[in-house]
Amino acid sequence: MNKQFLKAGMLGLLVAGWLSQAAMAQSDPTGKRRVTSTYAITNATVFKAPGDPGSRATILIKDGVILGVGNSLSLPKEAKIIAGDSLFVYPGFIDGAGTMGIAKPKDVERPKDFVSSNPADEIAGITPWRSASDSYTAASTQVDDWRKAGFTLSQIVPDGGMLPGKTALVLLGDGKTNNFLKLNTALAANYRSSRGMYPATLAGVMAKFRDIYQNTSLVLDHERLFASTAGVKRPQATPTQLAMMPVVQKQLPVLFSASSELEIRRALALQKELGFKLILTGLENYESVIGAIKASGTPVLIKLQVPDDKSIKAQKADGVTESTKAQYARVKESYDKALKQAAELEKAGILFGFSTADAKAGDVQKALKAMLDNGLSKKAAFAALTTNPAAILGVSGLVGTLEKGKLANLVLTTDTLFKEEAQIKHVIADGYVFDYEIKKKAVKAEATTAKPEPASNAVTVEGLWEYTSETPAGSSGGEITLKRENGVLGGSITYDDPTGSGKASAPIKNASINGKALSFEFDVAAGGMSLTVTISGEINGKSMEGSLSVPQMGSFPVKAKLSSPSQAN
Amino acid sequence: MKKHIYLLAAFLGLGVGMTHAQIQKGSVLIKNATVLTVTKGNLESSDVLVQNGVITQIGKNLTAPAGVTAIDATGKYVMPGIIDAHSHVGLDVVNEASAPITSEIRMKDVVNPTEIGIYRALAGGVTVSHAMHGSANVVGGQNATLKHRWGSMDPADIIMQDAPRTIKFALGENPTRVHGRGNGIQPRSRMGVEAVIRNGFNEAIQYKKAWEKYTLAKTQKGNTLTPPAYSERLQTLVDILDGKIIIHCHSYRADEIYMLINVIKDFNIKKVVFQHTNEGFKVAPEIAEYTMGASVFADWWAYKMEVYYSTAYNAAILQKNGAITSINSDSAELIRHLYHEAGKTQRYGGLTDEEALAMITINPAKQLGIEDKVGSIEVGKQADLVIFEGHPLSSYAVPQMTFVDGVKYFDRKADREDQRLWVAATEMVEPIFLRANEEAHRCMQDVDKYFEAFQGAFEKEKH
Repeated sequence: MNKQFLKAGMLGLLVAGWLSQAAMAQSDPTGKRRVTSTYAITNATVFKAPGDPGSRATILIKDGVILGVGNSLSLPKEAKIIAGDSLFVYPGFIDGAGTMGIAKPKDVERPKDFVSSNPADEIAGITPWRSASDSYTAASTQVDDWRKAGFTLSQIVPDGGMLPGKTALVLLGDGKTNNFLKLNTALAANYRSSRGMYPATLAGVMAKFRDIYQNTSLVLDHERLFASTAGVKRPQATPTQLAMMPVVQKQLPVLFSASSELEIRRALALQKELGFKLILTGLENYESVIGAIKASGTPVLIKLQVPDDKSIKAQKADGVTESTKAQYARVKESYDKALKQAAELEKAGILFGFSTADAKAGDVQKALKAMLDNGLSKKAAFAALTTNPAAILGVSGLVGTLEKGKLANLVLTTDTLFKEEAQIKHVIADGYVFDYEIKKKAVKAEATTAKPEPASNAVTVEGLWEYTSETPAGSSGGEITLKRENGVLGGSITYDDPTGSGKASAPIKNASINGKALSFEFDVAAGGMSLTVTISGEINGKSMEGSLSVPQMGSFPVKAKLSSPSQAN
Repeated sequence: MKKHIYLLAAFLGLGVGMTHAQIQKGSVLIKNATVLTVTKGNLESSDVLVQNGVITQIGKNLTAPAGVTAIDATGKYVMPGIIDAHSHVGLDVVNEASAPITSEIRMKDVVNPTEIGIYRALAGGVTVSHAMHGSANVVGGQNATLKHRWGSMDPADIIMQDAPRTIKFALGENPTRVHGRGNGIQPRSRMGVEAVIRNGFNEAIQYKKAWEKYTLAKTQKGNTLTPPAYSERLQTLVDILDGKIIIHCHSYRADEIYMLINVIKDFNIKKVVFQHTNEGFKVAPEIAEYTMGASVFADWWAYKMEVYYSTAYNAAILQKNGAITSINSDSAELIRHLYHEAGKTQRYGGLTDEEALAMITINPAKQLGIEDKVGSIEVGKQADLVIFEGHPLSSYAVPQMTFVDGVKYFDRKADREDQRLWVAATEMVEPIFLRANEEAHRCMQDVDKYFEAFQGAFEKEKH
């Protein structure tokens, strides 16, 4: 049993006890406690599961459980009504494997007699006994971002080395309660080697994985002998072996991160050799390996993103040689293939869901649209967001569809799912309702002109900001210049040049200010690749705090200070 | 039967072919060439018939069976596919430099069939390469013998599955630098290298005994003996002692070569090939008597202290002393003109055409334990063949076509400008610059990366 989890649970009970007492004694002084945990979404268009054509119904939920879906439900007095007449209701999305809210555990200090050729497991990134729940923070902006995108449940994957620990299922409900639905759902594995010690390379990781697996199997033999025969020396399983036992006994799957075709093949080969239960996650390039995946019967979680189209957009029509054009064509071919991969999975009949790890919550719609435009059926996309991951994670009885008795995880949209106009208005996760602002389309906005913000709320955004950000590579920073031109917010940003020393500069794009919330993007080019970095944060007076998110790498805290307000203010 | 399936698939426009774990075997008739068999002399104006990947007939005026393509090779030369006994092409990792013995490492785990170096090697007539672990450790990883089936996406399809196991050993400056000077552990000297090997084998003998004892006890009633720990590292050393694995040992100096000969004599090991072996000429009779020979550079030395003393006559001296001798590349560049490297033994040592060609065909085949399958043009052997314009040992030789298992993987006339198997969807197409001083030799790849974590200063030489 996980101690942290126990502690959290105990704390939760204590707090709940105190709260209920307080409720009897006096009203909630913070005003934050919800009035009821019973909700009814009335007369909405409900899609209970992939393939359901949708029908008018009312959904009643209480304490995080769906009490009923139908047209003749009697609604209790305490039910808060959410008028669903213009809303479309879907089961909450499920993230098959993600890293939202996950912090990297601190590196273990090396002992004085450290031997790099045979380091302790813990130092070499082999910590299968750890649980993702120990390094999870519900109050993370990443969790907020993914919930806003419709996700209500995630299998969180711990950060670390080649065997960082066990995954856990977490509900994206109220951050103040214990949100773990299930601990130890899979053993996370990847090809991450250890710097400056064994295993230092991919080849070492493969060998080490076999070594751990085989020795765990032998310790199990030893334990059986010990249990059945007198006079046998006692077994002494290491923490690594203890944590590996359910994997060797085929009770717990290995969740192997494998993004490229070769990585996928290597994981499949290892599985074939050793025989463990396998789930592949983080698939990015898998077009040529779909046959092998199908043959192995392995369920997969593909990255919820599509390749950046920057290289496609950068292709020039004129002034390039024939050979450059031929190279363009090959990149385009790869790009087109990448977009079609999800549809190919569907065609092959492979059970697949999505992984949010390394993806951006803000780009989900774009990614799904690209997959749908390239042959993926709406039904399959719906299933990949709901019933498929529920099946892969072994929780089909609890989540994935809208049925009586299932957890109250719902997504309420303004139009049918995957329609471009559709926006998420509410997400209900673990029975907690989260409301989101619906953006009016620019054309229609004239009729309902938004009220100008009260002067006291107006924030100064234009000017020169000095920022710092903390990334695994260390602290870095630069200057952000923001300016409004013809009412459009723009400017530039400087950052540490990744290709050398000094600073590089990039124009700011897609900048927006909404109340105090500022967000913008810029492109960083390095080594023939181009990345779009997003900075979003909240402005308070002359300072801004938020996050900097980089595709493939994750989100990092960023802080900025307004150093010289422009004349306009 | 399979051919029919392929034909049907092609007709239906299905993307069968090489992506589906099915190794292709081809049929072809090469007509009217000078056939350099290497083992059975040269045959003027002769034909070679290949059926389903195997050489089935060699002779004059052969006719192509129905459905078999005939290639007119009048005025051209056909030789066996070139075999490189020392290469790192097609590997994603070369050195697991973190321990003096890493025999549990398998290069087969890190084969990358899409590496362009494989195609470039084909363009130089090389059909088989020995993808080796690097020389950072005294006992490195287990190597992979590759067949250059370009176009395969599955590593398993380019690994020569019927080749015996081989392993990398390394003596001298590299392991002492990495582990001794770099990390403060044994070996710090050549004596330490010997100690690491002897200790390793002795430990392996204990490991084998422990497992034999347990395996026997396990079957008995009331057994209380528990299983020993599993170690693929020691098990691999056991397999070497049992003659199941061929050692390929990186070496330069005569003293260290002689040291390893003494070690293998003590442990009754027969299967050893020396690699580089620049001072091999000093101990050529010993190499000939006790080992499977030496695989050497044609004329390359003086890139670090331990390899200052050498000669371009090295290969010829070894050969004349009866040692099986091959010429290797250890380089993604040299691998493209090994036929030219072999020709140097004629300038330095006066070897015959057949002896020189044997250095890159049947001799390396013997050292890899695959001489019954490849390395010469003989009926019953796998059809790895190269068609040359000009005699392959001529300075003007140009490979025209390269076949592996009778399938044509390189054709100079159908050589597309872009032969890459995989292109990233996000690749920014930028002008191409040719770089000089490119790091071509990868014997010590991944070692720098390994060391930069705790040590900055590292010497430049890599071999």
